[in-house]
Amino acid sequence: MSENTAMKLTGEPRTDELRPMTEIQVRQAREFVEGLDSASEPYWDMVNVGDELARELHITPELVILYADGVEDFNPWYEAWRMDEWHVPGESPFGYAIVPPMLLSHFVLSVQFDHTKPFSVGSIHTYHDTHILEPVPVGATVRIHVRAIDKFVRRERRYVRHEVTVTDVATGTCYFRETRDILSR
Amino acid sequence: MHEPETTNPRMRGAPPPGGLLTVDTPIGYELVGVKKRAVIQLMGSRLWGRFNPNHWDPVYAARTGLRAPIQTGEMTSAYIAEMCVNYFGRNFFRNARFHCKYIASTFANDVITTHGVVRDKTPTPTGARLRVEVWATNQSGEKTTVGWVEADVPA
Repeated sequence: MSENTAMKLTGEPRTDELRPMTEIQVRQAREFVEGLDSASEPYWDMVNVGDELARELHITPELVILYADGVEDFNPWYEAWRMDEWHVPGESPFGYAIVPPMLLSHFVLSVQFDHTKPFSVGSIHTYHDTHILEPVPVGATVRIHVRAIDKFVRRERRYVRHEVTVTDVATGTCYFRETRDILSR
Repeated sequence: MHEPETTNPRMRGAPPPGGLLTVDTPIGYELVGVKKRAVIQLMGSRLWGRFNPNHWDPVYAARTGLRAPIQTGEMTSAYIAEMCVNYFGRNFFRNARFHCKYIASTFANDVITTHGVVRDKTPTPTGARLRVEVWATNQSGEKTTVGWVEADVPA
């Protein structure tokens, strides 16, 4: 496909429109989506201003590789796991393998959606204002704390705003602060 | 990019440790970004979007009014951050700020390019704090993401 080929689906959308699938894969995908959707409620309805949630995350070398591969960022500073060596101390300007700067922002999402069990499908992340305070060593365990601070409607769309802090469980170092919005369906 | 401060061959290809931006970088300096395709298999992976079918299922996306599955905005934030690490090096990991708004959808198979321009420079006791306007465009040149970053560079 050429670079200028934007994806525009026409006619009735098909599960296998964007990737090859057999009948059994299509059926499994449809069942999975139905399962998600049937138990889901809008994010707006599930979250109240003042709600607070927190969860600890062990940032393993494998988790960092999973994240970095997903965005095709092959910076060796993030490698404390390699296919040919497995666990290594790694190397970066800080002396040890570090976590990509926006990895924590992605995992905040997971804690936010602890408001809604199961996951509130159809919601979209629209904004973040992120303070990257200190480098995070790969292998750290962090505490992600999220507080819903506002709900507002703008151009007939419903948003929930959150305030986030991420600290090291062992040392108390504050690595990261963020304000972020979710657009609810 | 200049020679890395390491003898480890596994570090070849890494950004310069101190980055490319300095106190002498002029306002108006343009960063060379990174370019990525919104690959449906990555969009719908367990890490990124499997839990929300808007990110990978054409049928569900159509039901919610989207012409195709959309990539999660955090993937574009990661692309912009990759560009910033190339230019700020270690300085992007301490006392940095990234302000970002997703203004248009990134659809499956779109090609995203990140951009940046140094817009402001404020002296600090140890060097300067640079503000860089950042944004991402799709293959049609339309902006999908806009924002700015700030980080300190030493004298």
